[in-house]
Amino acid sequence: MDSAMMLEARGVSKFFGGVKAVDDVSIGVREGSIHAVIGPNGAGKTTFFNTLSGFYFPDSGRVTYRGSEITRMANWKRIVLGMGRTFQTPSVFAELTVRENVMLGVRARAGVAFRLRPPAGEGREALEHRVDELLGFVNLGRSKERLVAELSHGGQRLCEIAMSLSTEPSLVLLDEPMAGLAETETDRIITVIRDLRQRLGLTVLFVEHNMRVVLSLAERITVLDRGKVLAEGTPSEIAANEIVRDAYLGKEALDHV
Amino acid sequence: MTHDLAPQLFNGLVLGAFYGIVAIGLSLIMNLTGTINMAHGSFMTLAGYLAYTMVQRGMSFWVALIVAPLIVVIVGVLVERGLVRPLYKREPFYSLLMTFGLSLMAEEAFRLIWGPNGVPFSPPPALAGAAALGFMSFPTFRIFIAGVLIVAIVALALFLTRTRFGLRLRAAVQDTEMIAALGTNTQVLYAVNFGLGILLAGIAGVLAAGMLGLSPTSGNALLMPAFVTVIIGGMGSLFGSIVGGLLIGMAISLTTLFIPAASEVAMYILMAIVLLVRPRGLFGEEGIFG
Amino acid sequence: MKARAELIAGGVVVAILAAGPYLSPLIHVDLSIVSEVLVTALAVMSVNLLLGYTGLPAFGNAAYFGLGAYGAALSAKYLHVDFIGAVIIGTASALLGGLILAPFLLRRRGIYFGLLSIAFGQVFYFVAYRFTDVTGGEDGMNFPRPLVLGHYAINETVFFYVALAAFVGCLIAFRTVVRSPFGRTLVAIRQNEARVRYLGLNTDRFIFVALLISATLAGLGGALFGLLINFAYPLELDWHQSGFFVLMMILGGAGTVWGSLVGSFIYVIGKDIISTQTSYWQLYLGGLFVACVLAFPRGILGTLLARLKARPAAADSEPHG
Repeated sequence: MDSAMMLEARGVSKFFGGVKAVDDVSIGVREGSIHAVIGPNGAGKTTFFNTLSGFYFPDSGRVTYRGSEITRMANWKRIVLGMGRTFQTPSVFAELTVRENVMLGVRARAGVAFRLRPPAGEGREALEHRVDELLGFVNLGRSKERLVAELSHGGQRLCEIAMSLSTEPSLVLLDEPMAGLAETETDRIITVIRDLRQRLGLTVLFVEHNMRVVLSLAERITVLDRGKVLAEGTPSEIAANEIVRDAYLGKEALDHV
Repeated sequence: MTHDLAPQLFNGLVLGAFYGIVAIGLSLIMNLTGTINMAHGSFMTLAGYLAYTMVQRGMSFWVALIVAPLIVVIVGVLVERGLVRPLYKREPFYSLLMTFGLSLMAEEAFRLIWGPNGVPFSPPPALAGAAALGFMSFPTFRIFIAGVLIVAIVALALFLTRTRFGLRLRAAVQDTEMIAALGTNTQVLYAVNFGLGILLAGIAGVLAAGMLGLSPTSGNALLMPAFVTVIIGGMGSLFGSIVGGLLIGMAISLTTLFIPAASEVAMYILMAIVLLVRPRGLFGEEGIFG
Repeated sequence: MKARAELIAGGVVVAILAAGPYLSPLIHVDLSIVSEVLVTALAVMSVNLLLGYTGLPAFGNAAYFGLGAYGAALSAKYLHVDFIGAVIIGTASALLGGLILAPFLLRRRGIYFGLLSIAFGQVFYFVAYRFTDVTGGEDGMNFPRPLVLGHYAINETVFFYVALAAFVGCLIAFRTVVRSPFGRTLVAIRQNEARVRYLGLNTDRFIFVALLISATLAGLGGALFGLLINFAYPLELDWHQSGFFVLMMILGGAGTVWGSLVGSFIYVIGKDIISTQTSYWQLYLGGLFVACVLAFPRGILGTLLARLKARPAAADSEPHG
């Protein structure tokens, strides 16, 4: 396994019922890159993501993070190692405020989540400052005291991204970050994703449908179809790939590369 | 020992058929709407008491056997419309609590109307006594019970697989939204489904009254084993309920024979093991409750 | 600001309770019934922590309550410990029970957790029921209330203040726990356990501690209850009793600090008053329960608090406690 790779998967397979949702998939995500996983509906993208992030374990294959084996590691441990994850439907705490949502992650990172006594004085200020910092990064500062349930879909997604950043990851997995968003909200998320790499130096692996987004953001693309890897390469390579064209991409999308 | 074994095995079979049928009723209600009906036993007891009252008033046992469950079904449908339906949108936990409260009320109401002690409910003379089969004899009434329960289960199976309504019901368990989109009236579906479960409870209740006794708490005594049966047989599988029921019935009657003290606990230990090792049960489907 | 109001309100309630020996005759309620309210509230608190705050269906807490009662009873009768010893041993028995069951309960969530709780509870019930020689079986076991340190007898009035002290102590502890980062995490687990794990936290660890705290609270309540009535009986352990604790939590208000007292008060006093009028108190309380689930899912206190919060007030960054 290549240790220059941030995250590597080799021959990962996962069965559901009798169906092989993920079939012998391998991927290599280089440190500092923005890597996209695309494919038609039912291609197994989210299932694959779930095995990478430990939502469940693969039936076969290996997953390594910075060279260490994490195939069957508990998901919370992966976060401590440096991974972060967002979900297709924003996974947040709907009944709490935006501030409380992010504060939970900040406290977790600071190792004070298990405590009886809340941090006070300087310690508390530092945590609050960090929450503000994270909210500023995703531009949600104004909504700090609002209940997450009241935010728009895009707002919830930004909150979730801030939460996944609160644990100071080195690698962030985003599952369809644009799903269900309006055009204007999409631009905002694109900017944030770019900033993840540009401003924070994170490695990003994301699943996406929206071709415009993928071709403009990703440096490397893996194409899945029916659980198998169809192709892998740079955006221009993928756009030119006949097999991919046939399986998935519309001609119009490609003409804009 | 062998002299006791065969009757105990037969008892186990009959008990198992009881647990199975009550479990199926519970399952039907649970599968479609996620409602956990803690009042299921109360419906059984009600059917028993109604049959008792009818027989007291001079009606024949056979009439009571048919009419009592039907009355209970009507009560059940009213309960579903008024009390259970508002809770479909909420987590299963709320229906569990509400029906638990209902069962408390029912138990007290039974005490109020029919007295705190049990009432005697004997099977009709035609079914009394025992039938000799070879060198062993079995109580006629229990044979009758086994027969009725088997017929009921077969009838249900036919209903679910051969009738249009039955097929719609099964489809709705898979995907209620789609069925609604295809034009089926889901409100009616919920009511009929609940009524079906209660019908089974009612029949079991009348028969149980004759075999196991009738008191304000007699229905609840069958409820926990029925829940254990659903767990072991598998949530979402009616076939599993039958198999599970027979297993538990046998287990209980055999332990009663050999280790009387352990008979009630055995069932709970079995349930705990299943929950820890394979929560969906022997024949259950994944993801019924997460 | 809000914390101050809460402190004052709490102080008033405790002050009223402290005048119990003088006030209870005025409402024709035996002082020992008020003691019962207080010790039962501890059991309701234990359910509240797991169910109201963490979202785990705690349907087997009567097991810990009963372990507390039997622990106190058995140690008083056979080991001749004093009052304090009986309380400690009873509570410790419940805690031990929690330690034994926790690894199993931790493996499941949702309704499976609830059913496991019931199953284990029933095992304890049958042990109490069957070991007639030791536990007195179905009829339960009488035992004399031990003296404190072998000298001082505890009459009903003194017991009441013991119960009050225990209640206030546990209430303060409970409030501290639920308002702490630990408690905030429990609330988050209720809303979205997966997300808590994806913030790098091992939720099993949090739930384990919550289970132990819950067992201890219920055990203390049970030990004191046993010592109150000088009696321990199997039905204390039965799942119906667990159901009653849940009922009280719902009546009072899940996820609120004082809800346990409110719920326990309504149930115990209500039962006492209604049973002087009719022996069918279960009918009315069952009806109250059904009505509560349908109309007031947040419980009486919870609904009140929600109404109060809906009024425009200064932005309050503390979540409801």
